[in-house]
Amino acid sequence: MWGNAAQAAPAHEDAIVLLNFAGHTFEPLLSGALFWRAESMLLVADLHFEKFSSFAKKGQMLPPYDTGLTLKRLERDIAATGAKQVVALGDSFHRDEGTETLLDADRLRLMALLGKSHWTWLSGNHDPSPHALGGVCVAELEHRGLTLTHEPKRGVAGMVAGHLHPAATVYSNGSATRRPCFVHDGKVLVLPAYGSGAGSMNILGASFAGLFDYASLEVTMIGKSRLYPVSTKRLVGGI
Amino acid sequence: MPLHPIITSWFATKGWAPRRHQLDVLASWEDGASALLIAPTGAGKTLAGFLPTLDDLTHRPMEGMHTLYISPLKALAVDVARNLTTPIEEMKLKIGVETRTGDTPSSRRQRQKLNPPNILMTTPEQLALLLSHEDSPRFFGSLRRIVLDELHSLVTSKRGELLSLAIARIASYAPALKITALSATVSRPDLLRDWIAAPLPESRTDLLIGAGGAKPDISILASDERVPWAGHSTQYAVPELYEIIKQHRTTLLFVNTRSQAEMLFQNLWSINDDNLAIALHHGSLAVEQRRKVESAMVAGKLQAVVCTSTLDLGIDWGDVDLVVQVGAPKGASRMLQRIGRSNHRMDEPSKALFVPSNRFEVLECEAALEAVEANAQDSEEPSLGGLDVLAQHTLGMACAAPLDPVAYHNEIRRAWPYRDLSWEQFERVIDFVATGGYALRAYERYAKLKKTPEGKFRIANPGIAQQYRLNVGTIIEDPMIKVRLVKGGRVRDGRHATGPINRWGRVLGELEEYFLDQLVKGDTFVFGSEVVAYEGMFETEAYVSRSNSKDPKIPSYMGGKFPLSTYLAEGVRRLLSDPAQWTALPDQVSDWLRLQHEVSVLPPPDSMLVETFPRGTQNYMVCYPFEGRLAHQTLGMLLTRRLERARARPLGFVASDYSLAIWGLGDFGGLIRTGRLSLDELFDEDMLGDDLEDWLHESQLMRRTFRNCAIIAGLIERRHPGKEKTGRQVTVSSDIIYDVLYEHEPDHILIQATRRDAARGLLDIERLGGLLKRIRHNIVHKPLDRISPLAVPVLLDIGKTPIFGEGRENAMADAAAELMREALGKDVGQRGAGRSGT
Repeated sequence: MWGNAAQAAPAHEDAIVLLNFAGHTFEPLLSGALFWRAESMLLVADLHFEKFSSFAKKGQMLPPYDTGLTLKRLERDIAATGAKQVVALGDSFHRDEGTETLLDADRLRLMALLGKSHWTWLSGNHDPSPHALGGVCVAELEHRGLTLTHEPKRGVAGMVAGHLHPAATVYSNGSATRRPCFVHDGKVLVLPAYGSGAGSMNILGASFAGLFDYASLEVTMIGKSRLYPVSTKRLVGGI
Repeated sequence: MPLHPIITSWFATKGWAPRRHQLDVLASWEDGASALLIAPTGAGKTLAGFLPTLDDLTHRPMEGMHTLYISPLKALAVDVARNLTTPIEEMKLKIGVETRTGDTPSSRRQRQKLNPPNILMTTPEQLALLLSHEDSPRFFGSLRRIVLDELHSLVTSKRGELLSLAIARIASYAPALKITALSATVSRPDLLRDWIAAPLPESRTDLLIGAGGAKPDISILASDERVPWAGHSTQYAVPELYEIIKQHRTTLLFVNTRSQAEMLFQNLWSINDDNLAIALHHGSLAVEQRRKVESAMVAGKLQAVVCTSTLDLGIDWGDVDLVVQVGAPKGASRMLQRIGRSNHRMDEPSKALFVPSNRFEVLECEAALEAVEANAQDSEEPSLGGLDVLAQHTLGMACAAPLDPVAYHNEIRRAWPYRDLSWEQFERVIDFVATGGYALRAYERYAKLKKTPEGKFRIANPGIAQQYRLNVGTIIEDPMIKVRLVKGGRVRDGRHATGPINRWGRVLGELEEYFLDQLVKGDTFVFGSEVVAYEGMFETEAYVSRSNSKDPKIPSYMGGKFPLSTYLAEGVRRLLSDPAQWTALPDQVSDWLRLQHEVSVLPPPDSMLVETFPRGTQNYMVCYPFEGRLAHQTLGMLLTRRLERARARPLGFVASDYSLAIWGLGDFGGLIRTGRLSLDELFDEDMLGDDLEDWLHESQLMRRTFRNCAIIAGLIERRHPGKEKTGRQVTVSSDIIYDVLYEHEPDHILIQATRRDAARGLLDIERLGGLLKRIRHNIVHKPLDRISPLAVPVLLDIGKTPIFGEGRENAMADAAAELMREALGKDVGQRGAGRSGT
């Protein structure tokens, strides 16, 4: 009976979606990371480590577990991809002080990750200052003709960025579904926020205004167990 | 002691005599006892409540506060103050009466604190605020009496929990305190008495039952029209209702939801050739508009008001001579109270009419009629104490003075809802208030409560008290969004509003965020009594334009807040299963049931019927638990999970108050017949174990429940000094907080509080548990080769009420499939384009 039927595996788990951008091939992951297999490079945007703990000072004691969950995702992705390089596209810490408020356990896990791969931390508006946790802190990174940076700019060919926490809403059969997504227009690619406490914004909303050439927009939404490259005709605005 | 001569002669000049229950309350008071007075509306309950105060203060005038009056509604407090001031002035007594509500100006608040009136009228929230101040022992120390009005409505909610804690605190300040509570008739008066007795264990508490008024005169609309199978618009009865309104002075028409109110109001006006003064009243309308309707009603200027539960309680609305319940009555006690809104003279019967909006509701109305005749009560029992409310109260008490944990724990347990609170739970609440209560001690240095050398808990700094006072209360509204009327087509063709479209449009009112969330530009719905089209959202406002459409596309019927009561459900089941009782039913309804009897079976009263049949390319399984829509939704979620595991390939389900229909690709009937699917196992109580757990983790309803608990408990702030936070911003982050907390610490007290609420509230797990127990080994399976008459209504609901199932991921899969078709050069987005607002 259904006692043993629980094995029913999620259907499309191993269906790999590829994302072609500016002449390179990337693998978007369910976690929100982008894996560049040719370079063995894992790209993650907006980790927002220590976001919840930053509210405690003002009296809002949010669960101090967002950092731990984000680290867990990173550990999984790095183990699964075997990435030799990790590039964090800015806003890795919710604020500069976050590098000091890390709980001991979280700090140890982060150190372990820093020891496994070569890390590059790009600066973001939340964490403009360099730190000495390990790896390299830079403002921007040029790599194989691509510009890796925090804030995306319109029309700069080959720009890979974060900052905006993109999400898409699609509408079908009377119900709307909103999920974080990867989005690009052939020139600018924006990654979803990777941090467990980060939140997201609709790509048709005001914060994305003027960034993309809508006619060539490509959107890949993150489902429960697979990725969905969706038709932009189905996108709807709102929150 | 006899009633003071001044009061006796005042009664005489009015030509009145004190009623028996009024004198009973007085006698209890003089005997040093508290009292619970249960009496129907219109029995002079308010005067009964205050007679001991007037008498005592006439005999023994005093400075300071003598009586505190607590009402669930601000408007009621103001109204009662007015009604009490008149006799006090006529008797020329020196008794100060004042109100304290959110509207009281701060100068008067200050004055009230220094120089309190003899009688203060207020609400539970204001009381909590007063108690958080350092000088509250002095303020409340002289108190002799608390009068609790409409207690039956308070004790079933978190406001009641908060109130019980406040009273336990006041009892520790005021040695002479006695409590008088006024309540409508309830199913368990003994529990209500225990509730008010708990804070005063030393004194006696009397239960006083007032004489009932004349029996109400109730009928069910015997319509000449065809009563529809399904739906909630009650459109068929509108012309008949209009005639009935014409024949009465003032008619109150109660409906269950805002959208029903809108629809009925609109339909009545569309045939209002005589220009009758028909008004609309519901919680989403702008406050000024509601006040206008209320005063027009008091002034006797209205012939009819279409309203929701917003008019369930409260002041006397003038000369109502007919109450109409349009749509399902849901519960007997609720009906008795609504009917009591008409004709406030005790000796004349109230007149009421039930108007069912579909055929199942005819049965429900019939059951309600019987229940009301028998004066049966099915009101909810007082709720037990939530940890979120306790957390809020604890911070407030620490603001007033450092807390001695042992004394405070004892005090809390004198609040009835918290009488069994263990020391361990208590400590966890303190820990939560101080540092969030996490297993990982991350926030010790930011602790809100600090331990003094004597072992007491005090607040860490005065800013915390300021913050507490901005966030007090347990009423969490769904985040509401202002809806502004603009001219159509103004939203820029970038598929989103990038700026204010037209700031000068009129604000129509407010709508729940979750409703607006589902809308796409161009969707039409009824609001503010007109059909409007959704245009877009900018910041915290939604824009709509007038629509020419007669037929709104989005049915906003969400079933209303109240589920069908267990008592009425039993009545409906009994009625269904016993053809001898069908004589009372209209022919069209009894014919329907007879047909069901012929082609399938009638749901037996003590077991559950499950029908299976194919229809089109799919198979259906319809069960008839009669446990209310919320419990059915939860059941549907859990059953589809189990059916999936059994490889029965379910696709979706739809739930009504009476039944649940699941459809899918597997042959449900065949699987059951061949024993590959056992109904007993499918409906086994163990679904409330792991399956429930798995689903709760993902459930949107659980997240909404969590948000409320987190706000009440103070984890998320409604407001921060100097920084207004809108509901929208709170919602976004609370989902993430829930995910993070649930994953890491599923036993955290806020998750516990959320579960407790979910069990009673949006998920109604309690009721589902009762059902599963009742039907264990008691399921009747009827395989059919086509749809049964009884299954027609719920199947008609498909497409009208929200459908559950894999819809969420499906939307993305559809959009992905469309992309594939585009890539192959076929069928380029015929449907998507229209919806995307280009």
